[in-house]
Amino acid sequence: MGRRRRRRRVDPADAARALPEAIAALSQMLPAGPSPETFRRAKFDRPEAAPALWRLLFRVLSPQLADGASASFSLEAQVRSVKLALRTQGYPRRALAQLPDDGSQGGRELLLALAWLLARGPLPERLLTQNRVQLGDEMPVCECEALASPGPPAPSVEADGCVDIRHLQWLMGKLRFRWRNLMASQQEQCALLGKIHSYTRGCHSDRSLGHLSVTETELLRDPEGGRQLLRRLERENARLQAALQWRCRELVFWRWMDTVLGACPPEASQPTFLPRIPTPGAGELETLVRELQALQGELREAVEARRAAWEAGVRGRGPEWSAARTALREAVGRDLAALRRVCERGGGRSLAQLHGPHRLVRTEAGAPGGPGLRAPEVIEALRSREAHLEVVLRQLQGQCGQELARLVGAPPGPVWILPPGR
Amino acid sequence: MSIVTVQLGQCGNQIGFEVFDALFSDSHCSQGLCSKRENEAYQASCKERFFSEEENGVPIARAVLVDMEPKVINQTLSKAAHSGRWKYGQHSCFCQKQGSGNNWAYGYSVHGPRHEESITNLIQKEVEKCDSLNGFFIIMSMAGGTGSGLGAFVTQNLQDQYSNSLKMNQIIWPYGTGEVIVQNYNSILTLSHLYRSSDALLVHENDAVHKICAKLMNIKQISFRDINQVLAHQLGSVFQPTYSGEGSFHYRRNPLGDLMENLVPHPEFKMLGVRNIPQMSENSLAYSTFTWAGLLKHLRQMLISNAKMEEGIDWQVRPPLSGLPTLGKMSLNKEFHFNTSIANLVILRGKEVHSAELGAFKDPALYTSWLEPVHAFSVWKTQRAFSKYEKSAALVSNSQFLVKPLDMIVGKAWNMFASKAYIHQYTKFGIEEEDFLDSFTLLEQVIASYCNLGF
Repeated sequence: MGRRRRRRRVDPADAARALPEAIAALSQMLPAGPSPETFRRAKFDRPEAAPALWRLLFRVLSPQLADGASASFSLEAQVRSVKLALRTQGYPRRALAQLPDDGSQGGRELLLALAWLLARGPLPERLLTQNRVQLGDEMPVCECEALASPGPPAPSVEADGCVDIRHLQWLMGKLRFRWRNLMASQQEQCALLGKIHSYTRGCHSDRSLGHLSVTETELLRDPEGGRQLLRRLERENARLQAALQWRCRELVFWRWMDTVLGACPPEASQPTFLPRIPTPGAGELETLVRELQALQGELREAVEARRAAWEAGVRGRGPEWSAARTALREAVGRDLAALRRVCERGGGRSLAQLHGPHRLVRTEAGAPGGPGLRAPEVIEALRSREAHLEVVLRQLQGQCGQELARLVGAPPGPVWILPPGR
Repeated sequence: MSIVTVQLGQCGNQIGFEVFDALFSDSHCSQGLCSKRENEAYQASCKERFFSEEENGVPIARAVLVDMEPKVINQTLSKAAHSGRWKYGQHSCFCQKQGSGNNWAYGYSVHGPRHEESITNLIQKEVEKCDSLNGFFIIMSMAGGTGSGLGAFVTQNLQDQYSNSLKMNQIIWPYGTGEVIVQNYNSILTLSHLYRSSDALLVHENDAVHKICAKLMNIKQISFRDINQVLAHQLGSVFQPTYSGEGSFHYRRNPLGDLMENLVPHPEFKMLGVRNIPQMSENSLAYSTFTWAGLLKHLRQMLISNAKMEEGIDWQVRPPLSGLPTLGKMSLNKEFHFNTSIANLVILRGKEVHSAELGAFKDPALYTSWLEPVHAFSVWKTQRAFSKYEKSAALVSNSQFLVKPLDMIVGKAWNMFASKAYIHQYTKFGIEEEDFLDSFTLLEQVIASYCNLGF
């Protein structure tokens, strides 16, 4: 009914409670969330707040780690991993990178980093989705989530002096064997899942699913496991509640963050921190742009010339030519559309609908099945993607071969001594 | 995960039978020296790996038997069926009526392609019976005629059809003083072909096993059966179940993969030798006790001095002192003194296995310079005793074990080739001189690579 209605008086007691409640909600919905008191101390840059916040950021930035796994990383390793991850995502404040690696300082900077992450995207929702309790046998259809996250810190290997190439070959071979072993394990897992699904046919109360998953089977066999599952579901519920509360009270938190930012000492001319992209250098990029533009110009000229020649050639023809011409145009249009579809499929565009994990449900052959993806379609999409990647691999291998030949200074030819492998 | 075995030729089939028999006997042995539950887990793991189940409960070996004549296969099938404890599948064998002239080129170029489809179908059926396939064993002799040629073809075929599965060839290295004139030609052709299509070549030397029978088992009249049984014992001590990791009590699911990842990732170094200790006749077994310290000390010296068994070890051989160069330049004309390893796998079975001290195997002096002991040495354990031995240890080694025998064979083959002796037997069936030259080149490269390990 107008402005006056909106300007209600806020009860000062409510206002005082709102901030701690907001922070409590925030802390409860995040994994490894520290107490609101820690947040308060961090605003004043108290050193005791720093380790908890480093650990929080580590959990937030490496969501694929299981609950207990982060304990196996030392604080220093976690600090380095957080710095790397933030830098890769383009975090602009330099002061964080300059904090000591032992994790003893920097509560305020860490708060700012957390706020930055929260502001960038739906962080709580993303974390909750990734960590949710799964009752079915889930299979990821695409790997983009796994590829996007930086992963836990790898042990740093010092390469002192020259490296024996035999050692490199050894490592390559080991990596290949591990891939094969991984595939064999996955096949075994699939075979066993298939067995469980077919043995428990008809057991599920939900008719559209029809059979039990591994988790559900374990539930039936082991009541203790059932209780643990219940507890996990309750915890997840609590987190979801906290997330809802957070969304209501967010504004209070952001106002408070303004004061945190204000409390920071002013930083001397802040050079923007670009995310680390492994490009050869800006100069090459410009050359590439120029080359592409030149190529585009050349193509345009060639097309114009061709078109002019053709027009000149058909000008003399009669009216029946115009019909033929329209038919030709349509045919070309169809070819182009097909080509575009092939390119898109090769680029994996049609897999866009296949993001994230899906529950495996086994149905009888010919049965209609429920909503969701069908295995043959997914297999088809993955196969075409595989074919596209094979083509790219051949191209890259060819380029590598030529590059090596250039370095050796000899024409490409069989110089290799190794017995020909795969 | 299951292993499918392809038994090729007379050699492969006879040995294959002994292998399955040894595996079965051990898994049902009552003197496992462990709890009932542990024993059952061990049995179940062995069963899943090597046998499949049938309705009436008699386990069926996961094997395909191939030979060009029916005699040996029939003997093998009936021996297995007679025992009543396990058997081969009724339709798991392929044989022809006529013999084949004992010709490598004929086996590779004629028999192979002609019977490719039938053999592939048999293998496919066996693979389908597995819940999950760990890989293939291919048991064959190296210097035989048809069996070896066919074996080389079959391995190549497996490489094409099952490129993601692991393949290990169990190769029987012939006696130095063999009877077949062209055995050296056969050997180099077999080895070079297998090197290209197999992942690992586990070599069993007839001479070595013969000596074990004579000296350690005290057998007077050594038959092929005795030799095959010792061989089967060695294989069993490597591939029976072991724990999946330090401190774990679950059995390893992927022995082939773990072994290969640790021992043969480099494409030039695929030759593996196996030693085990102790080895004795069953009568003596009851009167002997061992300590892990003693067993491992002997095993280590067997590795260093390239001894084939625990008797007659040369204790003078020592690893080179760190920092100093190895004993002179490695030339094949001099006696090898010290056996440099690339990678080793030690498998321990029996009582108090967790107390065994393995530090001596992690000495960097044992290994080549470009691989550190932490990456080069691995150990598998189980406290379940193997085949009534209270304690036993096996060693699978990727080292210079086979350089000298290989060099001898290549030398002899080359001498014959230089005068083109008997080549027509091969060119008649499509193995040209270029194929021989390719084989020589490949094997010379392998020998050179292994010799250079000392640097």
